[in-house]
Amino acid sequence: MILTADFGDPQSVASAIRALQARGYGAEEIEVFSTTPVELAEALLERPSRMSLVAVTTAVVFGLSAIAFVHYTQNDYRIVTGSMPIFSWWSTGVVFYEFTMFGSISATFVMFLLESGLLGRRRSIPAPMLEEGRIRLRLMCQARDAAPATDCLYQAGAASVEKLEERP
Amino acid sequence: MNTVVETRADNFRETLWRPLVGASRGYVLALALTFLLVAWGLGCWIYQIVRGIGVAGIRRPTMWGFYLVNFVFWIGISHAGTLISAILRLTHAGWRKPVTRIAEAITVFALMIGAMFPIIHLGRPLLFFWLVPYPNSRLLWPNFRSPLLWDLTAILTYLSGSIIYLYLPLIPDLAELAQHATGWRGRLYRRLSIGWTGSDRQWRALERAMHRMAGMILAVAVSVHTVVAWDFSMALAPLWHSTIFGPYFVAGAIFSGIAALLVAMAILRKLLHLEAYVLPVHFDNLGKLLFLMSLLWLYFTVSENITTWYGNSPAEMNVFGSRVRGPFAPYFWVMVCCNFVLPFLLLSSKRVRSIRTVTIASVTVLVGMWLERYLIILPTLSYPHLAAATGFYKPTWVEISITVSTFAAMTMFYLIFCKLFPAIAVWEYKDDSHR
Repeated sequence: MILTADFGDPQSVASAIRALQARGYGAEEIEVFSTTPVELAEALLERPSRMSLVAVTTAVVFGLSAIAFVHYTQNDYRIVTGSMPIFSWWSTGVVFYEFTMFGSISATFVMFLLESGLLGRRRSIPAPMLEEGRIRLRLMCQARDAAPATDCLYQAGAASVEKLEERP
Repeated sequence: MNTVVETRADNFRETLWRPLVGASRGYVLALALTFLLVAWGLGCWIYQIVRGIGVAGIRRPTMWGFYLVNFVFWIGISHAGTLISAILRLTHAGWRKPVTRIAEAITVFALMIGAMFPIIHLGRPLLFFWLVPYPNSRLLWPNFRSPLLWDLTAILTYLSGSIIYLYLPLIPDLAELAQHATGWRGRLYRRLSIGWTGSDRQWRALERAMHRMAGMILAVAVSVHTVVAWDFSMALAPLWHSTIFGPYFVAGAIFSGIAALLVAMAILRKLLHLEAYVLPVHFDNLGKLLFLMSLLWLYFTVSENITTWYGNSPAEMNVFGSRVRGPFAPYFWVMVCCNFVLPFLLLSSKRVRSIRTVTIASVTVLVGMWLERYLIILPTLSYPHLAAATGFYKPTWVEISITVSTFAAMTMFYLIFCKLFPAIAVWEYKDDSHR
């Protein structure tokens, strides 16, 4: 079942989240919707991110691939270079750097899409149409837990609570 | 309190979304004019492809002319956006909000235009794909030692990064527009907003991504213009083979970029009636930054020229002499006036600094920086090491037409962009009002 509760300020949302967490709900079950970013207290609704790790790893992979590729191409068809080396670290450095950054940028974008759920199944969950300044909390719970959770939300300061649909 | 927030948000929406609806007569005329100029420029390019590169004024020894001047100029302008926006975002400068999107759009369009010029400059532009590293029938690969390949990788990285950097903060606005728009606009916004719902998960991912992108794009932007500088400084040509060229170009790019941003801000403020959002304080702050960059430009220019003069190398002195008292002298002194004297007079005193003076100074800086690119390229090629090879360059109507059409293209892209997307990030403004 999905419960949605409307709030007028971030403080009420924070106290609702704390109350729900005390009842055993985690960040996977709770989601907050707003038309602008809502600042919640540290560690409240913590959502771990691997964006930096993936960006750095992809950057290293892209950079090393660029070096390997340039090395391969320059040795695949050797041009006459006089006494100059066939493979030059100095000139490859620029290509290596740009590919490293390209890897990092594209990985960051892909991780944004994944972590925001824009590339996942989350899109299929009904998206709320929000009034300006309103903050909506969405809770996914079992049907038998709906009543106590609703009480909890009202106590925290929800203006209204609505039952939406059965959890798919 | 909520009513106040809603009213303010409605005002934001009303003002910032108004330009998206309908088109005034002036807008249609401007769009038509720029479209005609762009079409004329494309026609000239086709003419050049059909008749050959000989219709341009480039002759031995000046094998680089207007096209390469424009390439360096537009790549420099592209530093307006992403770099300035990234610096302001990383330093949490609160006044950045009306500036960032205008700036980021400049980057994308200027890069698209700038990147065309090496292709236009090619004698056989249809073979530009030879730059792409794939094994052809003789298993030949592009030469990765060549700065041309460096340009390709650097510009493609910067362009893709800049598009992502422009797109990411657009998503929340597109989602909101999708809820209100109908027809093809509604479909466009829905598709581009890729299912944004405004969940905390999405806001956090956006914040994280923007923060990281700002850092990365800074590093890429600096590298791009350094690589463009290395196109010159890797050559053993008089006054090009200089270690200072990398930072000199980057400083010049930021300088011209800020000027372009200020001009765009002034025009959009007037055209889109953004007087309540693009405030005098934004012009004042960026005007100070422009003045600082003007001083930095002077420092680099003096540093570069004084070492040349003191070194007294015959080949370099030929080029130096042609710039300060020879055939290129008028351009040189106009450049000094445009890049230093006028900005100094218009920007150094708080009493004189206003939207009008800052905009005038920005226009002069744009002229000055275009001349600077001209003076970097042409005198060196006109006075090579072999005195017997001296020759002068005179642009033809084809090159002038294509140059003019790129300025029209920039305006046209901007006019279309402002009709499709909000020029200012609405959600960032609302965020402020909530706080």
